[in-house]
Amino acid sequence: MFDSLTRHRTIALLAEIAEIEAQTLRGSERLREDLGLDSIGSLELLATIASELKLDLEVEDAMEIHTVEDACVFIDRQYRAQHPELYACNA
Amino acid sequence: MHELATHERDIVPQLVDQVRRFMAREVDGAAIDRRGVIPESVRSGAASLGLFGMSIPEEHGGAGLSLRAVCDVISEMARADRSVAIMVGLHAGLGTRGPVELGTKAVRDAYLPRLASGEWIASFAATEAGAGSDLASLRTRGEVVGDTLRLTGEKAYVTNGGFASSFTVLARTPGFGGARGHSLVFVPRETPGVEIGAEEDKLGIRGSSTVTVSFDGATVPLDHVLGTPGRGMEHAYHLLTWGRTLMSAGCVGTGRAALDAALAHVTTRRQFGKPIGDFAATRLHIARMAARLYAMESVVRGVADVHASGGSLEAVSAIAKVFASEGAFKLVDRALQLQGALGFLEGPGVARLLRDCRITRIFEGANDVLLLRVGLARLAAHDVPRGHILGVVPAPLRSAASEVDGLAERLGEVVADVRARHGVTAVRHQLVLQRLAVAEISLYAATNSVLGASSEEQFALASHATDLLIEEATTSLDALSRADADERRALAMSEVLYAPYRDGRDAPGLSP
Repeated sequence: MFDSLTRHRTIALLAEIAEIEAQTLRGSERLREDLGLDSIGSLELLATIASELKLDLEVEDAMEIHTVEDACVFIDRQYRAQHPELYACNA
Repeated sequence: MHELATHERDIVPQLVDQVRRFMAREVDGAAIDRRGVIPESVRSGAASLGLFGMSIPEEHGGAGLSLRAVCDVISEMARADRSVAIMVGLHAGLGTRGPVELGTKAVRDAYLPRLASGEWIASFAATEAGAGSDLASLRTRGEVVGDTLRLTGEKAYVTNGGFASSFTVLARTPGFGGARGHSLVFVPRETPGVEIGAEEDKLGIRGSSTVTVSFDGATVPLDHVLGTPGRGMEHAYHLLTWGRTLMSAGCVGTGRAALDAALAHVTTRRQFGKPIGDFAATRLHIARMAARLYAMESVVRGVADVHASGGSLEAVSAIAKVFASEGAFKLVDRALQLQGALGFLEGPGVARLLRDCRITRIFEGANDVLLLRVGLARLAAHDVPRGHILGVVPAPLRSAASEVDGLAERLGEVVADVRARHGVTAVRHQLVLQRLAVAEISLYAATNSVLGASSEEQFALASHATDLLIEEATTSLDALSRADADERRALAMSEVLYAPYRDGRDAPGLSP
């Protein structure tokens, strides 16, 4: 459930920032080369997600995110690590 | 450090000397500025010197010189005239690096010999009217039709465009790399459907050609796609590192021209019974100009060193571009100030230098945007080695090296603090990023200045440059500590000032 929540929000925000339709995004697409998100755009995406999902995200971690799938996996992992209580309730 | 490769040590100083004599003999910068065109004789003269083939491999008729060597030549050209330097520098960098590094054999064999000889001049067409620093919002499209690519769209601010015979074009190519793929494409001007617009009327570099170029179904073979289809954005960012580095080298030349003009003036202009250069305040300005120029040259050479050792130029070329373009403008402005009212007149030439170099703070990445990127890159870098140079410098530079190490340590602490306080939301704190970037750039420049010094004269310049750069970095880091308050104040004031414009009312003016 939470995996789909974070994935859904990540993709929705990515689509909004890149100004494209969410349903056309593919996991293998690269943020910089395919979506045109440079370092500033990628961090803007993560900053928005961090605010929405109440996450503390490090800049250097963000630099390791290259594709849409990387972003979804990274956010999900961070969400699980920083909100373990939600997963405990729904286990 | 900062030395020419062994096989270039004899050739390049000779070439630079030839270029100096050619520019003095053939190039009338004031006339080029006045008429807004570079004479054909200058283009053919540059071609006969082999300048259009400097960076093209020998197997294709060029000289295959290193980036460092090309920087030296472009710097010398810019010292005499920036329009001519930009024509050659754009050709050597953004214009031909695509076909040289990414072109298919067919493209290289067919076009590089003509580009190397100067028969063809190259251009680069990425920017569009609606997309300046935001390359991702491009609209020009390339559609795959059989074994060809059909281009439709319009590029703006195309340097060299009016007389170029080829364009490296960045276009969206949905046929490659997914729906949003971009590709770089080599397009000969003779291709039907390529239309060249009128020359733009510019503030400076008036001899340089700047036009719009439109592609109305211009069709080229698929083998004219440069590099990997669909990875054009990545390739374009790579080519921009060459463009920024050569532009930085041009800024060194402009800075040298400013110092030349200032020295000529202060040693001959007399006030109160002696040359104005004898007054302490003037001497200080001249010393600071020389120190900044030395630092600018050190940074450009540092970038060339990174290239020679196979490193990525992405971060360092952005640093060089900001530092050299801001530095050139400061040097020219100071030269003009030293000339007094005379400097404001077009005759002596410093006014033209000022107009010519103004664009360098804007094109190939506006400095305001590059500062954000440099700041973010510094925040993201894991344990970047900075400083620690005290142990590797000769005695005369130990004091300067100690200052550099001290700055590196303070910057490291500030970076750690910004990371802890803001995390990824640092991207929204633009003043923090820009002020961090200024300190990072100063540190990079001071480090290169100190490590590149190898003579008594350079030791003095490096020490003086370090003082100057530490002062600027310290000011910036002090300002960083109040960045959040500055942002809040600016936000409140801008809301008041923007309101009438958003509402379409008359601006109220700023009087209390």
